Amino acid sequence: MANLNSILERLRLWRENNDRKSRKIVEYWITELESNIQKLGREKALILEQVCIAALDCNEFTIAKKCLKELHKDFPNSLRVRKYEAMLFEAQEKYEDAIKILDDIIKVDETNSGAKKRKIAILKAQGKTVEAIKELADYLKIFMADGEAWQELSELYITEQDFQKAAFCVEELILHNPHNHLLHQRYADIKYTQGGLENIELARSYYCQAIKLNPKNVRALYGLYIATTAIATSAKCSSQKKKEAQKLSEWALNEIQNQYKHSNIDDIEDRLGALQIN
Amino acid sequence: MPATFLHRFVLSIGFLSLFHSAYSAAQHRSYLRLNELDFTHLPLDIIIQALISLFVIMYGVMNVAGDFKEIKASAELENKSWETFRNIPSFYTFSHRGKFLAFPHQTGNKKHN
Repeated sequence: MANLNSILERLRLWRENNDRKSRKIVEYWITELESNIQKLGREKALILEQVCIAALDCNEFTIAKKCLKELHKDFPNSLRVRKYEAMLFEAQEKYEDAIKILDDIIKVDETNSGAKKRKIAILKAQGKTVEAIKELADYLKIFMADGEAWQELSELYITEQDFQKAAFCVEELILHNPHNHLLHQRYADIKYTQGGLENIELARSYYCQAIKLNPKNVRALYGLYIATTAIATSAKCSSQKKKEAQKLSEWALNEIQNQYKHSNIDDIEDRLGALQIN
Repeated sequence: MPATFLHRFVLSIGFLSLFHSAYSAAQHRSYLRLNELDFTHLPLDIIIQALISLFVIMYGVMNVAGDFKEIKASAELENKSWETFRNIPSFYTFSHRGKFLAFPHQTGNKKHN
């Protein structure tokens, strides 16, 4: 029983953090959960959903079908359960059947954002990124406060290498959530990728903001290090600015070293060097 | 820190004591009315009892209510990484390598070799 409790605890944590540990979840289902379905209590439906998605991820359709059947028994008329049926078709690559179900859901409930998002995901799965972007932009005209959708749109733009628009989406996210260091770091990542002195200077400022919000963000520290190094070696820059950038890059490197001081990695500078793509 | 039995007990004692001092104050007023005396102030022992029970209640509530949250707005995000943050369940696609790496044991799935 203690074992079951610790598994439930872990599943809860993964649900909150959006961890995609599908294989582990399916393993738990096979070893512990399946025989204890009735003991799950209030979390039963949530766990069944989680296992269902994980099973689809691992191509375990029998498990997914079993979860769906359990959910169907508890909620016979639920649109949310129908959405999972559509996802099962999706995983089997029967996209037309999936779209038919999703269209039915949208007909019944026009504001069902979950179903609309699945339709966009289907376009993505078929490799039609441009159509997916168009659909998602239309979706965002209606559901403007949907942070997940903005994030997805930015990722889609990045796959199309349209960094300007991807950066715009992240700006939108920063407005929604100004205290999230990951968004500042992401914005800086995109600006650095775009290149050009102005963009790299902007990237440097955003990396600094990310570090200010969370001094433990090593990715932002490394980003700051390479951004400032790029500024310091740039030909177009004044010597005053170069000196500042040099100082900042030394500081960033020092901070990274401090982060790893207690983890017995001694050749941190060599390892950073190995990250370089030249 | 979970609320222990002791803390709950302290909290209920505090409330009982506070009600008791309120009741004593009401009784003091009726005593004054019966003796046709003027009201100047409450007796010192009632005031002290009310103050002490206030502090006892404060101590009890702080321990029963649960853990405090960090005052910094970004504290909850401190240990999150981009790898989990970028992962959005509503946009999962399943047309990935998962089906080729699926479990070797189990079920009648066709193997794609």
